[in-house]
Amino acid sequence: MNDKPHLDEEALTELQDVMEDEFDVLIGTYLKDSSDRISFLRNAIGTADADAFARTAHSFKGSSINIGAPRLGELCLKAEKAGKDNRLDEAAVVVDAIESEFQQVEQTLKRFLA
Amino acid sequence: MPIHTHLSDDGHCVTIRIEGRFDFSTHQAFRNAYEHEDGGVKEYIVDLSETTYLDSSALGMLLLLRDYAGGDAASIELRNCNKDVRRILTISNFEQLFSIQ
Amino acid sequence: MTKSQALRILIADDSDSDRLILKTLMRRLGHQVRAAANGSEAVAIFPDYEPDIVLLDVLMPVMDGITAARKIKALAGEELVPVIFLTSLTDADALARCLDAGGDDFLTKPYNKVVIQAKLGAFSRMRQMHQTLSQQRDLIGERNRQLLEEQQLAKRVFDNIAHTGCLDADNLQYHASPMSIFNGDILFACPTPAGGMQVLIGDFTGHGLPAAIGALPVAEIFYSMTSMGFSGSDVLREINDKLCRILPTGMFCCAAMIQADFHLNQLRVWNGGLPDGVLFRQDGGRDLLLSRHLPLGVVKASRFDAGMDVFHTRAGDTLLMMTDGVLEAENAAAERYGETRLRQALDNAPDHKAPIGTLLESIRSFTGEQSGRDDLTMVSLNMVVASEFREVAERLPQSALKGPAAWHCVYEVKDDTIAGSSPLPLLLHICMEVPGLRRKSAEVYTLLSELYTNALEHGVLGLSSDLKSSADGFSDYYVRREQRLDRVEGHFIRFELTHSTSPQGGRLVIVCEDSGQGFDHDRVLAPGATGALASHADNQQGKYSGRGLQLIQKLGHSLRYSEYGSRAEIVYDWESATG
Repeated sequence: MNDKPHLDEEALTELQDVMEDEFDVLIGTYLKDSSDRISFLRNAIGTADADAFARTAHSFKGSSINIGAPRLGELCLKAEKAGKDNRLDEAAVVVDAIESEFQQVEQTLKRFLA
Repeated sequence: MPIHTHLSDDGHCVTIRIEGRFDFSTHQAFRNAYEHEDGGVKEYIVDLSETTYLDSSALGMLLLLRDYAGGDAASIELRNCNKDVRRILTISNFEQLFSIQ
Repeated sequence: MTKSQALRILIADDSDSDRLILKTLMRRLGHQVRAAANGSEAVAIFPDYEPDIVLLDVLMPVMDGITAARKIKALAGEELVPVIFLTSLTDADALARCLDAGGDDFLTKPYNKVVIQAKLGAFSRMRQMHQTLSQQRDLIGERNRQLLEEQQLAKRVFDNIAHTGCLDADNLQYHASPMSIFNGDILFACPTPAGGMQVLIGDFTGHGLPAAIGALPVAEIFYSMTSMGFSGSDVLREINDKLCRILPTGMFCCAAMIQADFHLNQLRVWNGGLPDGVLFRQDGGRDLLLSRHLPLGVVKASRFDAGMDVFHTRAGDTLLMMTDGVLEAENAAAERYGETRLRQALDNAPDHKAPIGTLLESIRSFTGEQSGRDDLTMVSLNMVVASEFREVAERLPQSALKGPAAWHCVYEVKDDTIAGSSPLPLLLHICMEVPGLRRKSAEVYTLLSELYTNALEHGVLGLSSDLKSSADGFSDYYVRREQRLDRVEGHFIRFELTHSTSPQGGRLVIVCEDSGQGFDHDRVLAPGATGALASHADNQQGKYSGRGLQLIQKLGHSLRYSEYGSRAEIVYDWESATG
C-alpha cells in the first residue's frame, strides 16, 4: 500500500531551520487549515460537489507535501483523482483514511513544537 | 574577397592577389597584406586576374598602397585586369600613377 | 553561495501554510516579499509594487494563477517580469497551459531552498540583461535620431553655400540626386564677370559625412573664384590643392569643370574621372569629352594638370555631363545601366537640346525606381547668344567700408609671370572696391579683358586673329599660343588704373601698355572697318581683331591708342544709380 513515512523528519528539520521562530505559527496554521479542509471534504461529498472536493483535496495535498507529510499527501492525491473522476463514494473511503492519517501527523507535529 | 600574398624568394617583390570584389570590405585585409612585410620590399604587384569588381574605395586603397610604397618613387604594377576593371582604371586615368598590364 | 542583490518578489498561493513557508524562505534569502491569497489580489498589488519576479500558484479561488499570469504579463508590457508557477501539477496539458499564459518556469512542492535560489538567480540575471538591452536600444534610437537631425541641418548649411549660383539659369538643365550631398555628389554653377558661366560637377569617394565635408571648401573656392573672374584652370588648381591638403590619402573627387564663354563661343572642358561627356552639335555631330585627368585630390600641384580642352561652339550646341551614378544604376537583377544603354538613349533622344528628361526616363524605366531615391547627378548646358545670357555674378566680396573713391595704381606682369597667371581677377577686384562700380562688373571686366587679350595675344605673342575664323585654324591658334608663351622673356604688360569721383558718379581710366610691336590702330578703328580687315595681307606683325576693339567702342567709351598701338587708354564714366 503506502510505504511512505508519516513524517519526513529531515524535511521538517530543514523547515524548522528556515522558519526559525515562526515555525510554531506555521505548524499551528497548517493544523488548523487541515482540520478545516477535512470538514470541507465531508461537506462536499454530502452536497455531491465533486469539483469543490477535488480542488480542496489538491490544496490539502500541496500543503501536506510542503510540511513533510508525504503519506498524507499521497492520500490527498488519491482523493483528488476520485473527485475529478466523480467517484464520490470511493472518495468517502479515502477521506476516512485521510482523517486517520492526519491524526497521526498531528500528534507527531505537536511533539516538534516548543 | 579573400586576399593572397606572396613574397618573392629574394624578398624584394610582393604579389597581392585579390579574389572577387575589391571594395570597401577588403580594406583591412588589403592593408595587412602590404603593411606586414619586412623591409626590403622594392616592388609591388597587384594581381587582379580573379578580381571581378573594383569600386572607388578600391582606387583609394591603391592610392594608400602607393603612398606607403614611396609615392612618386613607388613601383607598383596592376596586372591581369579584366574588361570591367580596366574600364574603371582608364576612366580615372590611373595609368598615370600605376603601371597597368 | 554567490551574493545576489535583493529582489522584490510577489507571491500568490491560497494555502496559508504554503504562503508562509515561501514568504519566510524568500526573506531568509535576503529578498523583499509581498504575498497574496489569490490571483485577483496579486494583480491588484502588481502595478504599484513593481516586483522583479512573480510566483503564482495555479489553482486559486476568485482568480486562478493562469488568468493572473496573463494579466500581469499584460501590465508589465515591454518589461521582462518573469512568472514562475508553483505547482504540484503533473499533467502535460496543464503545464502547457501555464506556458501559454506567459509562464517562464515551474517550481514544484516541496519547496527546496537551493532550487529556489538557483531559479531566482537565473531569472534575475535574465531580467537585468533585458533591461540593459532595452536601454541600449533606446540610446541607439535616440542617437540615430540626433544624427539624422544633424545631417538635415548640415544639408541646409550646405544648400545655402551651394545654391548661391545659377543652376536655375535658362540654358542649364540638371538632375541632382536628392541624396546629395550625402552620397558625395556636387553640382555648382556660377556666372563669370565676362558674361559666361562655369559649372563644376563631381563625385567624392565614399558616402555620408566624410564625402559631404569635402564639398564645402570646394563650393567656397568655386563660387568666389569664378565670380572674381578666375579661369576654370585656376579654380581647378586651387581646388586640387585644397583637397590634397584636407582629404586623407585614398579619398578624392572625380569631377568635370566646364567653362563656357558666350561672347567667344567657346567651351573649355576638364574631365578627371567622370564618364564621357557629350557635346551635341547643331549639325548633328557629336564630340566626346573624355576623362583625361586624374581626379581632384590625388596628385599635388607639381603634377596636377589643369589643362582644359577647347571647343569652338555655336549657339544651340549642348553639352551633357554626368557622374557615374548614371552608369552604375542597377535594376532588380543587379544589372548596370551601362554605356550601351546610355548611348542608345541619347541616340533616340528627340531633342538634343534637352537630353536630361529623356535620360531620366530611360534610366527610371530600366531600374524600376521612380521614387527619386537615386544616385544620379547630371547637367546639360546650352550655348547661347551672349546678349541673351542675363545672369550676373552677385557673389562679389562685399566690403563693409564705404570704398576708395580717388586712387591710382600700376600693375605690371613680366617675363614668365605673363605665361603663368592672369592679372584680371586682381584688377577687377580693385575696381570693385568702388561701390558704384559693383553693378558694372561685367562691363569693367570686359574692358579689362579685351585690353589684356589684345596686349597678350596680339602684342606680346604676335598672333594673328584671322586664324581663329576656321575650325582648323582655331586649334592651330591655341597651339601656337602655347608655344609662344614659352618665349616671353623680356616682355611685359602694364596696367595703370586711375579712379576719381565726378558729379554724376565717377570716372575710371584704364591704360594698358605692352612690349609688343604695336599695330596701325587708325586703320583698324576707321569708320567702316570690320573684322574683314583682319584678312588684309599684312603678315609681318600680329593683326588685331577689329571685333574686340569695336566691342569696347560699342560699350560707349572713349578708346585712344598711342605708341603705335602698344598703348591703349580707355576712359569709362559711370553714373550712380538714381533713387
